[in-house]
Amino acid sequence: MRLLIAMSLVTVTLTAAQAPAPTGTLRGRVDVRRVVASAERRPGVADLATAGPRDLSDTRRAVVYLDTAPRGAFEEREPARLRMDQRNETFVPHTLAVTAGTTVDFPNNDGTYHNVFSLSKTKRFDLGRYARGHSKSVRFDRPGIVRVFCDIHSHMNAFVLVFGHRYFALTDTDGSYRIDNIPPGTYAVAAWHEGGVRDTRTLAIPSQGGVVEQDFVVR
Amino acid sequence: MTSLRALRFCGPPEPWRRRKLPGAFAAWLVVAGSAFAQGLPSEPVSIAGGRVVLGGEAAVSVAPPDPGYFNYTDYEHNTLREIRLGLTASVRASSRLAFLGEVRTENFNRVSPFALYARVRPFPARRLDIQIGRIPPTFGAFTRRAYGHDNPLIGYPLAYQYLTSLRADAVPASADELLRMRARGWQPSYSIGNPAPAPGLPLVTAFNWDTGVQVSTGWRAIDVTGAVTNGSASNPRVSDDNAGKQIAVRAAITPVTGLVVGSSFARGQFLSRRVLSIVNSGHDDRFVQRAHGVDLEYSRDHWLVRADAVLSQWRLPEFSSPPTHGTLTAFAGSVEGRYTFLPGAYAAARLEHLTFDRVAGPTLTATWDAPVSRVEVGGGYYLQRNVVARLSYQHNTRSGGRITRDGLMAAQLLYWF
Repeated sequence: MRLLIAMSLVTVTLTAAQAPAPTGTLRGRVDVRRVVASAERRPGVADLATAGPRDLSDTRRAVVYLDTAPRGAFEEREPARLRMDQRNETFVPHTLAVTAGTTVDFPNNDGTYHNVFSLSKTKRFDLGRYARGHSKSVRFDRPGIVRVFCDIHSHMNAFVLVFGHRYFALTDTDGSYRIDNIPPGTYAVAAWHEGGVRDTRTLAIPSQGGVVEQDFVVR
Repeated sequence: MTSLRALRFCGPPEPWRRRKLPGAFAAWLVVAGSAFAQGLPSEPVSIAGGRVVLGGEAAVSVAPPDPGYFNYTDYEHNTLREIRLGLTASVRASSRLAFLGEVRTENFNRVSPFALYARVRPFPARRLDIQIGRIPPTFGAFTRRAYGHDNPLIGYPLAYQYLTSLRADAVPASADELLRMRARGWQPSYSIGNPAPAPGLPLVTAFNWDTGVQVSTGWRAIDVTGAVTNGSASNPRVSDDNAGKQIAVRAAITPVTGLVVGSSFARGQFLSRRVLSIVNSGHDDRFVQRAHGVDLEYSRDHWLVRADAVLSQWRLPEFSSPPTHGTLTAFAGSVEGRYTFLPGAYAAARLEHLTFDRVAGPTLTATWDAPVSRVEVGGGYYLQRNVVARLSYQHNTRSGGRITRDGLMAAQLLYWF
């Protein structure tokens, strides 16, 4: 009988040890009210003809992230590979949010050369000129903002936001976002849009986990 | 739990990185550039939902004096020692019609309309454009690339900048008189026409745009442009001064991405009405400038290579013996390359030569102007995407004139939006 009780206790203890700690989900919507126009071409005064059509950047997307995060979050590095296309003289997507250590491919889908580069402090690179069907990649190792440009087409620009943890989300086309598996605690949460933090809030994930709703307004 | 900063948004998105560049002036450029560009626009200014777009460029170039006048332009300015400001604008009236213009000032002397024209695209889906007004040059590729950031070096190619001893408003009476003006293109004077000294003509100017009508079209990898204008390749004009028109044609082919091969031709009467009246010809189609050009550009990875050749012929009236040989020919060839060796840092070089055909004078048979060779090497460092600090060294040699060789170190700070 004692042995059975002891085994039961061990089983319960092990089960308790293996059970995942409760986590929370942060979700909501970012209402982008500021209008950010896609960058224009420089006036083509020296051109012999009208420039061809191009796409406009999707400047409605925002990024929501935990400005503060659990200590262990910064040690979780999952190598990932993402893609930023160059299509119709536009970077697609216009904003990319990645964790540090992620490699981003920059394929050229246009009939002209592109030359992707950045002079940002976080990551300084120049991929040179390459034609349609070719791709070059960059590994982003340090957290920060990387502004990406094309050396040939001055109106082409994009953002790569590199995070030291995984608690961030890019908004959908309707502005909604969702960040899962956040450990309980109190966090500063920021909404970033087109070059700067536009709104910050402090909120708590309860100890028992659950869903926390938080909307942001970007003006 | 410990809170740690995930992402820091401090400082400008494109930070200034200061490195040691040769010379105190380069250091000054970096510091001045930092201060200069902060708060200025980094992208074109868009108004009225993109219908009106404004762009601009500012270049400050410094260099020691150029006593050999190797870098002077038809504006009597030295390209290595000037402050140039330009403001460009495009106004899109409809999908078929746009107006484009640019005003410039050099050394704050005066503000002049560099370009002002209407661009009509009658069929928006087709590659057919008609430009009317003070239009971009049809001839060559460099003439439309004269904006600072398209030129990897501070100096300009000889073919598009160097002043020969020929003038549109004055001509030599004899070969002897012509030969006396060798290497004096910065201010030649002749006995026929305007007797006052004035700057000569380059083979093709990149500093002045012509006025007229231009039609461009294309099919697949081929682009063709033709224009009828008031001036000539070496002497573009707003108003006609000789009742003669220039016809210019350019064809360019892009066989593969990154390679562009172009060929240009221009023919236009270049002598002024005043000279023609002395020749007893208000409109004489013989005294024309013919220019032929071939240009090539190839780029790949971090390399950009360009080659350019211009052959120009001017036909002059002959007054006395020995004659000026009728047609005077000049040829200029250049090769330039640029290599980006670090993000935001590049090195560039250009080699070129300008030569002339020979004319027989009473005591001397020589090229009608002094041949010039130029080597320019330099580099640029981007302080931010649209601000670049550049340094270059230019060595000129000339087979004639008071100063036959000169080495010039130049620095430039260039900003555009």
